[in-house]
Amino acid sequence: MAIDCAQFEEIVHELERAGTPGFDFREDAFAHAESCSRCASLLDKVMALEFALDSLAVQDRGERASARVEAALIAEFRRQHAESAHPRRNLRLRTALAMAAALILAIGVTVPFWMNHRSPATGSPVAIVNPVSTSAGVAGANEVPVDNSSSDSEYTTDFISLPYADDPGTLEGGTVVRVTLSRSALASFGLPVAGMGSSEQIPADIALSEDGVPQAIRLVADADLDQTN
Amino acid sequence: MPTAVELTDEALLAKMIEGDEEAFTALYRRRHPSVYRFALRMSGNRALAEDVTQEVFFALIRDAKRFDPARGTFGAFLFGIARNHLHKRWELDKRLVPSGLGNEDMNGNASRNGAGKSQFSVAIQTGTISGNQLRAEGSRSTIPGVPEEVVSKETVARVRKAVASLPENYREAVILCDLEEMSYEEAAQALECPVGTVRSRLHRGRAILLEKLDEAPLRSAVGE
Repeated sequence: MAIDCAQFEEIVHELERAGTPGFDFREDAFAHAESCSRCASLLDKVMALEFALDSLAVQDRGERASARVEAALIAEFRRQHAESAHPRRNLRLRTALAMAAALILAIGVTVPFWMNHRSPATGSPVAIVNPVSTSAGVAGANEVPVDNSSSDSEYTTDFISLPYADDPGTLEGGTVVRVTLSRSALASFGLPVAGMGSSEQIPADIALSEDGVPQAIRLVADADLDQTN
Repeated sequence: MPTAVELTDEALLAKMIEGDEEAFTALYRRRHPSVYRFALRMSGNRALAEDVTQEVFFALIRDAKRFDPARGTFGAFLFGIARNHLHKRWELDKRLVPSGLGNEDMNGNASRNGAGKSQFSVAIQTGTISGNQLRAEGSRSTIPGVPEEVVSKETVARVRKAVASLPENYREAVILCDLEEMSYEEAAQALECPVGTVRSRLHRGRAILLEKLDEAPLRSAVGE
């Protein structure tokens, strides 16, 4: 295909670049340059420029950032992967801390209320006889409520250890206090609140260690409520 | 089992994401020179080019999953990050002239006015160069009668200054397409513009280079 000067100028910079229109028509461009001194001159200049650019690329091929940069990057890579190596552990720790904070806040609100309004039936601290079932995890809490120590008029779930709980042995001499907690707070501990009626506030027993730190928690339901469920 | 240096960029990246330090090192050593050269040619400043190179790979360490092969090559991805960091640096420090003018240049010298024509008139004593000759040779790396190292030294110095003095848009296109040998498509990915824009910028950038390195200095430089 014969090309004119305008078309030649359009493609002259890409005659050596595969996959471009110029490359596809390079033979036509060379043929045109043979018959047009102006375009031949332009072709000479363009090819000289390409040689010069190629030489520049070759000369700079050895350019590198200093070793300092690589060292800094490798240090950063190690730091990043050391941090991300235990994301689950970090997540569990954060979750446990959040739950502990929520529980302490809830107890801080409800225990003073209980101290002022405790009834003879539930108000007295009771000695714990093996109150904490450390094997009762969240899954166990979904089992049928079992009562070991509460009165005939109520059912309780097993005690569930709190995330930061100490060894159960440290509970000797501790007490169980009855509190009322919000449904959402109890649900966050994995307790089966679905079968506890529709009330937003649900009674629960909290096992405190001798130094007053909450260690385990269980739900308390009236027998009547259980029967209706 | 292939060694790290035999793996593709994508394979190295996948291993790097899993925490393989050797893969990251191999990827860095393979890819950082072109990133560094791009930043150096765009800025003319070695310290800034090192900073940008470091930032590019910091970004990769922090969020390697940002790379999407469907959107372009890994090389174009890195150039795109480098370009963004250069722009940020220029925004932060307007004193940095984004062409290497007024800064320590690539040869470690303090440049003043960039590519003045008088600097192009340094003559090389031997040989001739023409497009016809190059075409006949079929290679741009060997010119009969011209000591290659002499041509390279003088020609490169002049062209380097001319490239450095191009307006930014044209300079990017020339650096990526001519010096880093990227395709129009790859350059378009890196520059975040259409392929046609890359083509026209390269065309215009080369035309400006030809004006700067006009025929007489080019020919005199090779001894005609």
